[in-house]
Amino acid sequence: MSRVNSVLLPAAVVVASVVGLLLLAGTNPWDPLKIIVEGSIGWPPLEEGAARKVGDTFMVWVPIALASAGLIVTFNAGMWNIGIEGQIIMGAIASAWIAREISVSRPILVFLVILAGAVGGLLWGLLVGVLRTAGGVNEIFGGLGLDFVALSLTTYLIIGPWARSGVASTSGTDPFPEDSYLPALGAIKLSPLAVGIALLALVGVWLLFKGTLYGLKLKAVGRNRPSSFLLGIPTNRYLLGAFMICGALAGVAGTSQALGFHQRLIPAISGNYGFLAILVVLLARFRPFLVIPISFFFAMIAVGSSSLQLRLDVNPSLGGVLQGVLVLSAMFGLGWAGYRALKEMSASEAKAGSG
Amino acid sequence: MSLELRDIHKHFGPVRANDGISITVETGTLHGLLGENGAGKSTLMKVLSGFHSADSGEIILDGKTIKLASPVDAIAAGIGMLHQDPLVFLPFSVIDNFVLGSPGERRLDRAAATRELNELSERYGFNLDPETPARLLTVGERQQLEILRLLWLGARVLILDEPTTGISADQRAKLFVTLKALAKEGMSVIFVSHKLEEVADLCERVTVMTRGKVVGEAELPVPPEQLVEMMFGQAIEIRDRDQVSLGSSHLALDSIRTATGLLSEEPISLEVQAGEVIGIAGMEGSGQDTFLRICCGMRAPKEGRVAVGGQDMTGKHYRDYLAADVKYLPAGRLEEGLIEGLTITEHFVLAGEDRSFFVDWGAARKRAVEQVEHYTIKGTEASTAESLSGGNQQRVLLAMLPAELTVLLMEHPTRGLDIESADWVWEQLLARREQGTSILFASADLDELLRYSDRILVFFSGRVIGELDASATNVDEIGLLIGGRRSGTEGVAS
Amino acid sequence: MFSKRLIKLLGVLLAFALVAAACGDDDTGETTATTTTAGGGGDDTTTTVDDGDGGGVMVDDFKLGLVLVGPKNDRGYSQAHFEGAEYVIDQLGLTEDDLIVLEFANTTDTPGLSLPGTAQDMVDLGADLIIFNSDDMRDGAFEAAELIPEVPMIWASGDSAWAEGKDYQANLTNLKNTWGKMTFGKMIGGCAAGLTTQTGELAYLGPLTNDETRRLVNSAYLGARYCWENFRGEDPADLAFNVTYIGFWFNIPGVTLDPTQVVNDFIDGGADVTLSGIDNNVALIRSGQRAEAGENLWGVPYDFVGACDEAPDICLGVPYFNWGPAYLAAAQSVIDGNFTADWKWSEPDWSDINNPDTSVVGYARGPGLSAENAAFLDTFIAGLADGSIELFQGPLNWQDGTQWLGDGEVATDFQVWYSEQCVEGITGVCSVNVFG
Repeated sequence: MSRVNSVLLPAAVVVASVVGLLLLAGTNPWDPLKIIVEGSIGWPPLEEGAARKVGDTFMVWVPIALASAGLIVTFNAGMWNIGIEGQIIMGAIASAWIAREISVSRPILVFLVILAGAVGGLLWGLLVGVLRTAGGVNEIFGGLGLDFVALSLTTYLIIGPWARSGVASTSGTDPFPEDSYLPALGAIKLSPLAVGIALLALVGVWLLFKGTLYGLKLKAVGRNRPSSFLLGIPTNRYLLGAFMICGALAGVAGTSQALGFHQRLIPAISGNYGFLAILVVLLARFRPFLVIPISFFFAMIAVGSSSLQLRLDVNPSLGGVLQGVLVLSAMFGLGWAGYRALKEMSASEAKAGSG
Repeated sequence: MSLELRDIHKHFGPVRANDGISITVETGTLHGLLGENGAGKSTLMKVLSGFHSADSGEIILDGKTIKLASPVDAIAAGIGMLHQDPLVFLPFSVIDNFVLGSPGERRLDRAAATRELNELSERYGFNLDPETPARLLTVGERQQLEILRLLWLGARVLILDEPTTGISADQRAKLFVTLKALAKEGMSVIFVSHKLEEVADLCERVTVMTRGKVVGEAELPVPPEQLVEMMFGQAIEIRDRDQVSLGSSHLALDSIRTATGLLSEEPISLEVQAGEVIGIAGMEGSGQDTFLRICCGMRAPKEGRVAVGGQDMTGKHYRDYLAADVKYLPAGRLEEGLIEGLTITEHFVLAGEDRSFFVDWGAARKRAVEQVEHYTIKGTEASTAESLSGGNQQRVLLAMLPAELTVLLMEHPTRGLDIESADWVWEQLLARREQGTSILFASADLDELLRYSDRILVFFSGRVIGELDASATNVDEIGLLIGGRRSGTEGVAS
Repeated sequence: MFSKRLIKLLGVLLAFALVAAACGDDDTGETTATTTTAGGGGDDTTTTVDDGDGGGVMVDDFKLGLVLVGPKNDRGYSQAHFEGAEYVIDQLGLTEDDLIVLEFANTTDTPGLSLPGTAQDMVDLGADLIIFNSDDMRDGAFEAAELIPEVPMIWASGDSAWAEGKDYQANLTNLKNTWGKMTFGKMIGGCAAGLTTQTGELAYLGPLTNDETRRLVNSAYLGARYCWENFRGEDPADLAFNVTYIGFWFNIPGVTLDPTQVVNDFIDGGADVTLSGIDNNVALIRSGQRAEAGENLWGVPYDFVGACDEAPDICLGVPYFNWGPAYLAAAQSVIDGNFTADWKWSEPDWSDINNPDTSVVGYARGPGLSAENAAFLDTFIAGLADGSIELFQGPLNWQDGTQWLGDGEVATDFQVWYSEQCVEGITGVCSVNVFG
């Protein structure tokens, strides 16, 4: 069976069924994609008047990209940081606290708000790590538990101490003082600072694993803890380090959500972007630069799916279903690639000599 | 049943694992397949048992060309493969394992199967209780079970891949008897091994493979030198032990004892001097592992003191021992030594002295290329740890050792290695010893223990049962101690 | 056979699978492109841009945008709005395509949601009037109105266009508020509950705590107390009325209280009539399930005219919104070019509160209401209609014992709208957070 056949045949089947179905329904297959693009960055892309959509899409991209950058670190350290959601939330809470309580000049306030987000997320990440290293609590369970605690804490703050006056609603707090917002481009929400930080984070993570001894040791710890320990690497300290780096990046994602996108604190402040980022990172196979387009694509779906609902009169959950289909297709593709990689590996194994 | 492999090619990418192999195995013969690690023996056997399909070539069984797409096809054709690690499901009972591989259409009749198992078991003098959970069986008994199962499934060609690894001498003897009996009954047996003496003991014919090719065939017996020459191109001479003058105390254990379990009964004291080699003998799990871990600070003894180079290290962390140039290389090279997925270059960087934050990959690669050449590692600086064969993994591990070493602790330094690699390993170790490094190594190979040790500690049941001067002892004495008998006494020491 | 919609959905999914697959291979990518060109039937959306010169629009060109906080079939708040919008479409002789609906417009279901973006999208699709249906959309609606000042919008339930109100946004000249005097609907529902209860214990499943919801809880309580006292001759002190707020308009797992659990607690605590104040119909459904198991229970749902259908036997009736007439009037004003951004708090049509063409608030009786009590309820409604029954009249104290209305004092709209507390006689936390 030639390689061409194995790729073209399934593709042809898909094309045939798509065309058939869509002709039956009297629509064309280009529409949904076009609408997603139109609803997220405009059609033709970046046409005049799409600035607001582009801004929204970028501001959804920022937290996904930041969380993904962080997760690359924890994944490389061999940890499933399911606690990422909680770390985003705690970053948002810490930023919100600064935004509400501190009044200093704008640049300083913005700096403090971002710093607070990083610290908030870092501490929450550290907690997962400490539970894991000192308490022997699997990071998946510890992280899930701490996610829940963080969510409960936001809900408490929103409905309790930080409630709107005379209102007890989990809807959200009042908008924060405008001075604390991440500086945006005029009326649209796009914050070049936030986008810059996210890009910087991805470059930083790339550099960490590409060029530094610290990154290499993290990778070693993630792949084989006993061997790393025997090499003299303080494995627990490195695990905690990974959780702190990831937590800090996730925390800034929370800052971007609270002071960039929503400009107030809501219970769903994380937007589930932490969990989404797990998918992004798996799809990107832990490569920071692949995260950029993949998370942007997810951001386009997140922002554009309401347009899909408006224009195609399809069920609003389509966005989620769509995401699922995409992920499955991508996984399928990866599986195929993985199968090939495996074949190559067994080849090189044989080359190096297996008797 | 006669078997012929004709011009088998199997390539993995650019690697020619099998490069035109032709072998004929006559009915009722014990046929040895000899070769060092990486010679392509396993690949060939996987082709023959349906795990791999050959790129080209023919498998001819009793004059008929057959196609094997899977192991099911192979066993249906009468070819049964006994793997290095017997494919036994540990939680299941013997009889469940026995019937597990039976073809789908056969009705599962446990009573009948039990009867057949018992009959077969009796015929070959095995003692397998059908209801025993498989996890209670020794590796040798698991092999027996697997052999019976293959016979029951109708195997007429039996392939055994390194069957003697991990079984006792007793069981090995029994296995050989069984194989000889099977051959008498008309079974064709292919015995894959890198152990020359085993092949010489057992087989009637031998085929020698090197680098994917057949390099020689012979009717046995032939002089061993001839086989060694086929395998390595030259006869390896056994070197005499160098006399090394011992120096100051490098490692001193004073009445160490653990809280519970192994090594908790009797305190152990030992002083190892610079350049001294201590062999550690004993059945696996008799406390050697615990002992070595105490010596390198990975385990803290409950009582007693540990000193390195005259400095008290009691209660210090493993990394402090590491800083005092104490290094431990456990047996699991890929489990506790190398890191899967990382390249040789990355390993050298991790083990290197350069602690600067940014890695100079250009320089690191250059160093790695040099090391690969210097340590004759088969692979490139970009090869990952898991892609290397056992011998090459060991070479990388030795290459990763720091330049300064006070004490080197090793488990099974040559286990699974071919003779050439094993000799190479000891060359390295002895060179270290010349520099004054004290070496403690655990081994199950009595020859190795006797040949390289100055003193031998024998562990039995969680304590040191004997400390021997290697130059004044012999295989029999160590053997008795390992079995728990002090020389001169009759009963098992308790 | 598959419905057309399902086929469409499958088509969309497959198209995406195709696109994803195409990413991996250049050849396939080209195939996709050709396929689309070949199969593309030019189904392009034509966008009508409203020039916003105040000159109105042609009826045939009119399109209505509706942003719903929940699903359009929630048998509650959002469905009532959706059906109101459909009424507008029907009355103007337009088609389904002229109604542009976004469901689940809340941050939990749609994390990437931005209301200004949605409004822009709707305008791009030709919407001439956009309705934001929830209190929760306050900030987003303001932003949208500010960004697209030429398009008329309505924020239901708000007070941003009320010059005398506390939250007046003078600069938003295109944002109108529409709301019905549900106070009366809740009084009627409360009365039915007060007439029916056997245990003398009523419970109110509150959404979140704010002026609007306290206003409605107070109305329900005052209605219940009036009928308990005047038709049954009981002592008001013997009537228990407990409210529990879940924290939001509908339940969000992990964030709000679980309304099903709250209703269980009500019933276990002795309440036999549960009034609902949340967006969906969980309270009536749960009460219905427990009634089927043999308990004597009733319920008064909320918002949607058909809400009783889910447990008719125990339903005492539903105070509902009938948004059609109000939205039709707003739509007509846009068509006529005389839309005004005012605050409208409309009374029911007292001549027939259930007239679908005139009354913004109605009460649809349920089979659970006895004939005898139905007669009392008629009397009560008549009293409300002619003004002989005025429930927001002093002496009336707040829950904390301070005086709200002095003896004989009748509350103004302002006082009722901004209900700072629950009134005396109601138990449960109404003024601070639900965590106490």
